Amino acid sequence: MQGKTAASRNLASCHICLKLADASLHECPRCGEPLHLRKSNSLQRTLALLVTACVLYIPANILPIMVTDQFGNSTDSTILGGVVLLIDMGSVPIAAIIFIASVMVPLGKLIALFYVCWSVGTGRTTDPRQRTVLYRAAELIGKWSMVDVFVVSILVALVHLTGLLVILPGAAAVAFAGVVIVTIVAAESFDPRMIWDQQDVINE
Amino acid sequence: MATPASAGLVACPSCDLLFDVGGMRHGEKAVCTRCGDFLTRVRDDCFLKLQSYAISGLVSLMIACAFPFLSFESSGLESIMTLPQTAQQLYDQGRPDLAFLVAGFIIVIPAAVLGLLTVLSTCIIRQRYYPWMVPVTRLVFHVQNWSMVEVFFIGVLVSLVKIAHMATVVIGISFWAYGAFALCFVASVGNLDRLQYWNELERLAGLKRAG
Repeated sequence: MQGKTAASRNLASCHICLKLADASLHECPRCGEPLHLRKSNSLQRTLALLVTACVLYIPANILPIMVTDQFGNSTDSTILGGVVLLIDMGSVPIAAIIFIASVMVPLGKLIALFYVCWSVGTGRTTDPRQRTVLYRAAELIGKWSMVDVFVVSILVALVHLTGLLVILPGAAAVAFAGVVIVTIVAAESFDPRMIWDQQDVINE
Repeated sequence: MATPASAGLVACPSCDLLFDVGGMRHGEKAVCTRCGDFLTRVRDDCFLKLQSYAISGLVSLMIACAFPFLSFESSGLESIMTLPQTAQQLYDQGRPDLAFLVAGFIIVIPAAVLGLLTVLSTCIIRQRYYPWMVPVTRLVFHVQNWSMVEVFFIGVLVSLVKIAHMATVVIGISFWAYGAFALCFVASVGNLDRLQYWNELERLAGLKRAG
C-alpha cells in the first residue's frame, strides 16, 4: 500500500522538531522555527554553494597546507604531497586515511551532490531510494574531511622547538576548511524530498 | 486546523511520507518504509542517559583542558601541547580564522551543547517547563551537527603516526580524557531523539498551561 505524503495533505513538517502543521503558517507552532513545505530555493542555493566549494578546492590543493622548518630549511607540503610522503615513509594505512578523508570524501561528496541536483533538475523518476541513500551518505561523511585540518593544528601546536624543528600552518588549510564548511552547508540546503516529489505527482 | 488530526503522525524527513508513530513502546524504533531513513526511537530512560552522559562528558572535557595532551621530545628539547593550545598556536602563527574554527569545532560547540543538554534534561527529568527551553533546544539542534569531537580524535591518532618517527612522543592524561569526552558526547547526543524530545517538551508545556 502506498501511503500519503505530508505535502499532499497540505501539511508542512518542521525540520527542527518534526511537528506537522498547516502549510499556510509561517512559523512552527511548537518550536517557532520558520516553516516551509519544502526548503526555499533549495536547488539554486545548493548549486551555488557547490560551485563555491569547487573554486575553493583549487587553492586547497595547490597551496601548501603545512610548512616544516627544520634547522632553518623550510619545506612546503601540499595535501597530495603529504600522502606521497607518508607512503614513502611506509605508513600506508595512515596515507590511506588521509587520502580518503581529504581527497576522496570531498570529491565524492561534490559529485554526489551535483548528481542529485542534476537528477532533480531534469525530473528523473528512477531509483529515488538509491538517490536518497546517496544524499544521506554525502551528508553523513561531510565533516570527516576536517581530519587533515585538525592534523595540521595538532602538529603546529605540538612540534614547536624553536630553531630546531617548527611546523607552521599553510594557506591551503584555510581554503580546505572552507571547502568542508561550504559543502556541509550545501548538503544542509538540499531538500531530499524533491527527489520523491516527481513520482508522487505521477502517482496521484 | 490540522493539529488534532495529525497527533501521532510524523512525516519522513527524507521523503515526506506520513507514518503513525503513536503508541510505540520502550525499545521500539521506527524507520521509513519507503526510503529507509530513521524516524524515531522510544526509550523510557533517554533523558536520564542524556543527562548522565552530558555531565560525564563535561567533567572529562575539563580534565582534558587542564593537563598536557601530548609532549614531544627531540635532541634534549621538549615541547608540551595542551588542548586549548591547538587553537592558540594557530592564532599566534597568524591564522586567527583557522584558530576560531578549530576552537569552535572541538571545544566551544561541543561544550556548549553538553552544557545546555545538562540543564535541559535536568528540567525535563524534574518535570519542569520554562518558556526559554524552546529557543534553547532549537539552538542545540541547530549547532549539534557542527561538533567534530570524533573527527578530531582521529586527527590526533593520525598526527601521532606522522611524527612518531621524528622524535619521542609521550601521551598525556588529556589524551585519554578527550577520548572519554568524545565517547560521552556521542552517547549523549545519541540519546537525543528529535521527536520524543519535542513531544515531551510539548506535553510539559501543556501541563503547565492547564495549571
